[in-house]
Amino acid sequence: MLEVKDLHVTVEGNEILKGLSLTVNAGEVHAIMGPNGSGKSTLSAVIAGKEDYEVTSGSITFEGRDVLEMEIEERAQAGLLLAFQYPVEIPGVKNIYLLKAALNAQRKARGESEIPAPEFMKLVKEKLAFMKMNASFLQRAVNEGFSGGEKKRNEILQMLLLEPKLAMLDEIDSGSTSMP
Amino acid sequence: MATEEMEQLVRREYTQGFVTDIESDTVPPGLDESVIAFISKKKEEPEWMLKWRLEAYHQWLKMKEPSWAHLNYPPIDYQGISYYSAPKKPEDRPQSLDEVDPKLLETYEKLGIPLHERAALAGVAVDAVFDSVSVTTTFKEKLGEAGVIFCSISEAIREYPELIKKYMGTVVPQGDNFFAALNSAVFTDGSFVFVPEGVTCPMELSTYFRINAANTGQFERTLIICEKQAQVSYLEGCTAPQRDENQLHAAIVELVALEDAYIKYSTVQNWYPGDEDGKGGIYNFVTKRADCRGDRSKVSWTQVETGSAITWKYPSCLLRGKDSVGEFYSVAVTNGRQQADTGTKMIHIGEGTKSTIVSKGISAGNSDQSYRGLVKIGPRAKRARNFTQCDSLLIGDRSGAHTFPYQEIGNSSATVEHEATTSKIGEDQLFYCRQRGISEEDAVNMIVNGFCKDVFQELPMEFAVEAEALLNVTLEGAVG
Repeated sequence: MLEVKDLHVTVEGNEILKGLSLTVNAGEVHAIMGPNGSGKSTLSAVIAGKEDYEVTSGSITFEGRDVLEMEIEERAQAGLLLAFQYPVEIPGVKNIYLLKAALNAQRKARGESEIPAPEFMKLVKEKLAFMKMNASFLQRAVNEGFSGGEKKRNEILQMLLLEPKLAMLDEIDSGSTSMP
Repeated sequence: MATEEMEQLVRREYTQGFVTDIESDTVPPGLDESVIAFISKKKEEPEWMLKWRLEAYHQWLKMKEPSWAHLNYPPIDYQGISYYSAPKKPEDRPQSLDEVDPKLLETYEKLGIPLHERAALAGVAVDAVFDSVSVTTTFKEKLGEAGVIFCSISEAIREYPELIKKYMGTVVPQGDNFFAALNSAVFTDGSFVFVPEGVTCPMELSTYFRINAANTGQFERTLIICEKQAQVSYLEGCTAPQRDENQLHAAIVELVALEDAYIKYSTVQNWYPGDEDGKGGIYNFVTKRADCRGDRSKVSWTQVETGSAITWKYPSCLLRGKDSVGEFYSVAVTNGRQQADTGTKMIHIGEGTKSTIVSKGISAGNSDQSYRGLVKIGPRAKRARNFTQCDSLLIGDRSGAHTFPYQEIGNSSATVEHEATTSKIGEDQLFYCRQRGISEEDAVNMIVNGFCKDVFQELPMEFAVEAEALLNVTLEGAVG
């Protein structure tokens, strides 16, 4: 499914990843561990398409497509989603609005029509209940004033709703517990 | 100059006669007394009105164009401008949408403007498209039943001279500022609204419904009066891009609110901003002021400014009545080479007066934007309160945002709060949204609309929807 081959990545002239290879097949769970600064977040950021990371050699393919040639949103639309270690705040934009815009963008990319509002609400409430989250959560601005734990739950909520083919969770438990 | 001398001067000039041919539809460039007399005659005005205009003209001659604004534009040649041109006749206008610039139509489409309205906006001879006369007639009947007067300012000068004499120039005097004096001398069009005591205007009033609104002149003058306990909501402008051959626009808006009256004035302004280098855009120098004369009166200004090459505009409130309230909600967007110096003045004179200012400025491209606001609390304005919030959002790294808040507090019982933020649409915010599958353009729109939410919710419903769409169109291609 995901194929990373001999990946070399530099950030501001420093080589962070030095020839990493990784194969992830459907149904597998991979845990990537290492000390601070070993390049865990760099790997997920490069796969997601964050700028400022220079791939000097190597390749990344996802379901046979060359990921490095794809725009950030195309990668997400193809089913590659990243749950952020530090989710950003977007003042004035309601959580529910972001969720709906994201879901519809992905549906549009798949050639489907926009989700009808009642169906969307039903779906969101289902996922909220699963996460044991309060509905008031939807009306708050994206990540604004959220506690560290709330931000992480919000990331998981988005994953549940957007149903990626491959989810990358960057230090998903940091903020709720401290891990070395 | 003493009034008497002035009158003599006016009379003397008058007897010399006017050379301009009254039959022609435009006057040659230049401004002198004969041009003003020409305009006055074209509008079939009584002589007192001409006198009033000439007084303004003589004050203007002694004034200097203000230079304090954070704006940069080549000097305006006031003698190079033609001050009157008649509205185009139907046969001179495009006869169908096929004759209209396709790019303009594309924009209408993006804004979601209904087909029949597109034609009217593009200046197509309206009667060929839909029956505007009957719409207007029903509209007028309904207002007439309620006792509301809504007509052009020229019509009001002829039909309601007593109201005009009583109120015009009492909020913005002829010699208030350079542009106001110019407008007072040469204004050619605008609206007049009078809502009698105790009446709530049965519908939102919009210039759109006024015949000839599509050909509003470059020197508009609007006067709205709400008597005791009267209420009106007035919508100015439209979201569609408006082109005009006249580069200089200097409008005046005067609002008078008597006891317990409420005036809500909403503007969506989208004048042509010029090409990529800023050439050909409209210069918009506007004086808008409300006089909250009566106790507990309230005026609310809401504006969405996206157009013009140059914007110079400070809708203000004189809070004279006890416990009167002034509000200012503004979103100003600049892109390309646009420059805007805009804000508000809240002058607290009466006891217990309250004002709220929420200003959101968005600068993209090479544009430059300033918020300039004055909160003045007089010595008798006991317990006056002001809350100001002004936020700037920068897009890209070539745009500028400036804030010039002035506060003059004249007594110690007043409460004045000021909050300001400047932020940049962060790469991180964009990355976050795009990593959820949202395109960069949609992400920018989402972030910007979130930023403007506090102001948009003050707009009348249908205006709010259009305003959001307008912002998206204005910022097209701002990132990337």
